[in-house]
Amino acid sequence: MDLFSLYNRLLVPFAVFSEIKREPARSFAFALAVERRLLVVPRLEAVDALALRILELVNADPSIPPIDPPEAYGLAFAKHAGLPLLTDNASPKLASLILEELSGVAVLDSLDVLQAIYSGETLLKALREFTEDTGVKFSARRLRELGLA
Amino acid sequence: MDLLKKLFEEKGLKVNWEAYAGLTSLLKEELEWARELRRREADWSYIESRPEPLKTALKLLVETGDLKLASRFNSIPLDELNEERVKAKIPLVVVSLRDSGAFAMNAER
Repeated sequence: MDLFSLYNRLLVPFAVFSEIKREPARSFAFALAVERRLLVVPRLEAVDALALRILELVNADPSIPPIDPPEAYGLAFAKHAGLPLLTDNASPKLASLILEELSGVAVLDSLDVLQAIYSGETLLKALREFTEDTGVKFSARRLRELGLA
Repeated sequence: MDLLKKLFEEKGLKVNWEAYAGLTSLLKEELEWARELRRREADWSYIESRPEPLKTALKLLVETGDLKLASRFNSIPLDELNEERVKAKIPLVVVSLRDSGAFAMNAER
């Protein structure tokens, strides 16, 4: 899988992993875990406090799309571990840009990842295939940032 | 806004309020653009053909773009609703949070 040309393994907090309930996604995740390319991270007390504050504050603000507990935990864990967070949701990225405590946390969306793997025509092809496979699209402004629109 | 500032301070989280104002304004524009795209691209005949509570969940998804919210409010498993979303041609839209130089320092990787 091309994602593993960027990262040796994915760390998935238990709260996020437990959201994968149906096949074939579950078997796929377990197969990656067996190959040690996906590690399920147990709940850490050191991360809980920041995750809770992120959750409460982002959800208290109607200007920001809500964040749910697994994603708040993922963001807090990214800060704790000094790792990038991969997500297509806007709230974690916004939180990382406005909260000083989260400065330095890289929140990457699918387009960031595709761009890190591919370039030129190959990137455009990968983007088309990704959109067809997942139904995920990027805003015109997001594509313009990378000179793709 | 004052109440929000007080709340953040009480919780011990420091906010870059200048970035906050610019980014929430940009986000509002982007989310409205995304909502219009979902409304335009959704297969409404497919959505109307689905039984409840799927039909309501898909309509909520078109309006909010929030898969987890639509899943939770209608007690439909997340991955089941996502499969329905793909069939209903409702795009999940990834928005931009980088507009001007004022926020580029944080946004650059």
